[in-house]
Formats: sequence, structure tokens, C-alpha cells
Amino acid sequence: MQQILIIAKQTFKEAVRNKILFVFIILGLITICCSVFMPVVGDGSEKIRIVESMCFRSITFFGTLAAILLSASSIPTDIENRVLCTITTKPVQRTNIIFGKIIGFMYIIGVLLIVMGGAGYALIKFTALKQSTQGSSELLAREKFDPYTLQVTGESARKIGNVSWIEGGGKGTSVWKFKGLHSKNRKDDLEIEADFLVESKKRSTRKIPINIKAVNPYTLKTLTESIEVSRNKPGLLKLGGEFLEGSEELTIVVSLENPGDFIGISSDSLRVFFGNKSFEYNFLKGLTIISSQFLLMVIIAVLGSTFLSLPVNILFCLFIFFCGNITDFMRDLSTVINVFETHEHGHGISTVLKKTNVFVVFLDYVIRKPLFLLSYILPDLKNFSVGKYFVDGINIPYKTVFMSFGYAVLYAFFCLPISFVVFKRREIA
Amino acid sequence: MDNDIAIKTENLTKAYRSFWRRKKILALDKLNVDIKKGEIFGLLGPNGSGKTTTLKLLLGLIFPTEGRALVLGKTTNDVAVKNRIGFLPEESCFYRFLNADEILDFYGQLFKISRKERKARIDRLVEQVGLGFARKRPLRQYSKGMLRRIGIAQALINDPDLIILDEPTSGLDPIGTRETKDIIVSLKERGKTVLLCSHLLSDVQDICDRVAILDKGKLQISGTIDELLSSKDVVEMLIRNLSDEAISEVETFIKEKHGEVISVKNSSGTLEGLFLKIYAANINNSKTDV
Repeated sequence: MQQILIIAKQTFKEAVRNKILFVFIILGLITICCSVFMPVVGDGSEKIRIVESMCFRSITFFGTLAAILLSASSIPTDIENRVLCTITTKPVQRTNIIFGKIIGFMYIIGVLLIVMGGAGYALIKFTALKQSTQGSSELLAREKFDPYTLQVTGESARKIGNVSWIEGGGKGTSVWKFKGLHSKNRKDDLEIEADFLVESKKRSTRKIPINIKAVNPYTLKTLTESIEVSRNKPGLLKLGGEFLEGSEELTIVVSLENPGDFIGISSDSLRVFFGNKSFEYNFLKGLTIISSQFLLMVIIAVLGSTFLSLPVNILFCLFIFFCGNITDFMRDLSTVINVFETHEHGHGISTVLKKTNVFVVFLDYVIRKPLFLLSYILPDLKNFSVGKYFVDGINIPYKTVFMSFGYAVLYAFFCLPISFVVFKRREIA
Repeated sequence: MDNDIAIKTENLTKAYRSFWRRKKILALDKLNVDIKKGEIFGLLGPNGSGKTTTLKLLLGLIFPTEGRALVLGKTTNDVAVKNRIGFLPEESCFYRFLNADEILDFYGQLFKISRKERKARIDRLVEQVGLGFARKRPLRQYSKGMLRRIGIAQALINDPDLIILDEPTSGLDPIGTRETKDIIVSLKERGKTVLLCSHLLSDVQDICDRVAILDKGKLQISGTIDELLSSKDVVEMLIRNLSDEAISEVETFIKEKHGEVISVKNSSGTLEGLFLKIYAANINNSKTDV
């Protein structure tokens, strides 16, 4: 352990003395500060969301870049400069060298995270303060609740893929049930956000009116409201927190007014928010998730550095980083390649028909299957994406924090033994 | 393994293959060498003869294709045995952002030497290699010779039983060379084993007890300096204050005894000797001036 910490300290010292750490910090801080000057269409809260989002995106970008460049280059450079040639003649296990390097990189990235996170937090607070003088704007960390049951019923109900479609005019309803809705402050608003896929036989129609009926199953208090939803803008319904009095459960029934209007429903289409958590905790949770991504990238870069040369390893890491952010697209693409014809079922809904010819078979084996496989082998970096939480002002569940950390640890569990074996067998000439 | 043997190689072979694994380059071919404890052993040979490959194999930096090597009774992949080994690589490559004290401290920590002991050793070694004046300067500002000196210091930080030196005097000025040779000899006097490889044959001849000559990865010859260089039928005498007449008489006497005089000439020193003489004189003068 002592040797691991010595090597970690040395790795950190190297980044400080060679001023690499400062370059990343300065660039990151400049980017964070630039977010203040971003033009914003909307109210003050929109401005805060932009600053929050930019802050996290900057930290993620520069942190990941630092993680990749430092960890991908360290071992190959030490081998190239023959520094490792001297170190490995000392009584140091090669596994300790790898552990030491990883801990050293995490020190470096930790400092980067603290400085940039601190600056980002100060800037967000400053922006919120500035906006509050011009109107009310608060830092949101709203508690989001997912439905425990979702039923789509009616003669028009049809499921295509993960999306269930219903038509208006009493031909279909969807029933959502939520539980565990509790907040320390009952005066908090109960917010219902409806973000459905929208289709209409009237091509000119952009907005579709939907009816939302909220029911408190304990008091049987009912409230029905009509809101408009469109393709890009979710509909929002605010109820007072007292609506939930005596109950932690809520039932919501969604239906459409007009025949010929369709909405596509997935489990995330209706979001219920109740209660506002501490923004500071949420911010820290965001940083924790980002640091898990850094850990993951460091481990992958170190794995690459045990057998690849410096330029190849950097390319390898950038490839992983790029693909890790588009795993969904890779899976989608693998589906698209199979699609040659679609069949219109009516009311804008189509199903996919496969066309089997030699070309499709070729694409299937050369592109689709490898891509599909790769999308599951490569780390899915969207698991570490926290920007969306801050853009929507949503509290990050602890489960997400643990899951993302666990995801990084899982990759470490597979990558580290490979790194050890490869590095142990590597000739340091 | 014999307790008196510090290094033993048995058919030690190293072959490198080309990228496509077709062409095989034999860097070392069935090397069998025993190096005794407490001796200074020189490994000689032209470039590409396999000297550095041998050292790397002994240190476990690279792995043998065939055969094996035992260092201080252990195989080369035994990490614990490295506690007793000091190594000076051919090129002194260290973290250049550190200064002399820091780099020695770093290596000292890797040997788990206590802080107090580390400090004492660093002070002693920095002075011993003559870098006391530059100990706080980053290594990136060091000359090649200074780097060599710090390399020697780091090789001795753990007070090793076996010291492996690859071109120890390369890049050093004559004084540095002399001092390094003195350090090596003093190590031997303290019972340490030294294995060195060098292109500078005079250095090897000066200090080594035994040498081995490699060429194209094969051991050509090995033995003590005397065994290898002495000619039993040729006698060398160094005589002071002999007149020309006396020389003629000696030559006549030798001929009478059926001997053959090969050459008669005045003794000449070496450039290194001359340089050191001048350097010593200058030091004495400056002391007198003070």
C-alpha cells in the first residue's frame, strides 16, 4: 500500500510540476464562466438551468479529457523515457505501479473536480442570486416519482415497440398510479409534466388537448384539467401539495378530447414531481456521478496503456469515449440497417418490414451484429450524464449515484485484472 | 546454487521476433556465466552484442526465450530479491521535474527505507557523487554527466549487495570517471558484487576482476584479466634510472640467455593520468592561495 501511495503521489506531482493540471483547470474555468454570457430565451430560471448545464458539461468534458490524456499517456511515456525501466528494477510489484498510477490520476481529477465544481457552484449561486433580484428564481432539485403501474386501455390502444398509442374521442385512456409521494413540506407544489409523442390526422394540428384527471385514492378527491401538449413542449399541470392530504398515493388518468388525435405513451411520458430537495446535495451527487465516469475512463486508459503506444492509446480512449456516448444510436443503427420497408397502418403509425436479400444479410453480419455487440461491451456513458437532471431541475436519486458508481466499479473489475496480466507480461526494454 | 555465486545464467537465450513474427533476431544465445560474490565482473562487447539484453534479463525487465538466470539465488521475476540489487541503466532517465534529493527520496521510499535513514543516505550519496552543489536543482537542468552521477547515487540508495551498472562512466569527465571507478572499487572492498558493462576497455581493465566478452549474442571468452591478457612467454620490467650503456648490456645478456628483446622504450603514462595530475595540482594551488 505504501508503494502505491508513493507512486500516486509522484503521478500527482508530475501533473502539477509539468503544469498540465493547471492548463485543464484554467480551460475548464474559462468555459464555465462563458456560460454566463450564453444568450437565453426564457425566464430567469432558464438562465440558471443553462449555467447549471454548462457547468456540468464543462466539468465532464475537461475532466474526461484530463482523465484520458493523462492516464493514456503516463505509462507509455514512462516506458518511452525509460523511467519505468528504473522503477521496475526496484522491489515494486507491477500491479502496484498500475494501482498507484490510477490513484494518482484520481487525485489529479479530484483536484480538478473540486476547483471546477467549486467555481461552478459559486457561479450558479451567483446567477440564481442575480436572477432573483429580477424575479423569483430558485435552484431546483425536484423529487421525481415514477409510476408503479401504467395501464393503457380502450379500443384504440395499440403497442408498437416500447410505445403504446391511444386515440382521442373516448377510444382510449391511460391510467398511471404513483405511490410514496411524500414531502417534508406539504405546501410544495405537486407538478405533473406530460411529454407524449403526438400524432394527429389533422396535419395542421400542432397542439393536442388532453385531459388529465388526478385522483387521491384515499380521500377520493378528484381534479380534472385540460392541458395542451405538442411535439416539442411538454404540458405542465400544477396542483397544490394539499391535494395529497392523507395519502402518499396518486392516480392519474389521461385521455384525449378529439378523435383523430393520438398520443404515444412510454413509462417516462408522465412525470410527477413533489417536493424540492437540497440543491447542494444534488450538486454533490452530480459531481459524484461525474467522478465515476472519470474513474471509468482512467481505468480504460490505463488498460490501453499497458499494451498500446501513446498515440494509439489516445485514439483508443477517444473512440471509447465517443462510442460510449452513442451506444443508443449504435443500437438504433443496428435496427435501421434491417429496415428496408415500412408499412403504414393508418393514423401515422407504421410497422417495420424486413427485406432479406444478400445486401441485407451482408450488412447484418458486418455492421449490425458487431455494432449491436459493441454497444453492450463498451461502457454506456449516458449512465453518467447528469446535465439532464440539472436542465430539468430534478433531484438525482441516490440509486442513480450508486448505480453509476457501481457501473464504473464493474468495468474496473473486468479491466483491472486484464491490465495486471498484460502489464506483468510486458517487456520494458 | 553455490552460496558464493551472485549471478548464474544457464543457457540464457533471448530472441526477438519481427512484427509479423517471421524473422527471429537472436540477441543472446545460450549464455552460461557464473559471477562470484564480492567480485567486479565486466561484460564487454561491441554494440548489439547482447550486453544490455543480459542485464535486462537479469533484472526481469525482459523475459528469456530459453534458459534461466538466478540472481542472488532467486529467479529474476522474484520482486523481493530486488531489495538487494542496485541498477544504473544505460541512459539515466528519471523524472526530470524532481531534484536530486527528491529523486533519491522517491527511490528510497520504494525500498521502504525509513525517513531518517533515507535522509542520511541521500546526504552521503549526494556528496559522494559530487552533486552537493546542485542537489536542489531540477534534473532537467542537469548535464549528462550530472545525470550519470545521480544515476549512480540512486543505484546505491538501498545499499545493495549486487550492483548492476550499464556503462557507468559514459558521459563522465575524467575526474567523474576516476571517482566512479573509486566508488566501484570501494564497493568491492565492502564485499559487494558489481556487474558492469562498458565500451571503455581501459576502465574495465582497471577495476574488473573477471570479464566476459560477448559478440553477436554469444559468449566468446571469459576469465580473469590476468588469465586473458598475460603472455607467459613475454616478460615486462619497469626500470628507473638506467643508462643507455646499461640497457645495451641488459640486451646483450638477454641474447646470451636466448631471449628476444621485443621493444625498448621509455615508459609513458595515460592521458587520464596526466589529466588527473593537472587537476590535483590545480586543487593544491587553489588551496595554497586561500
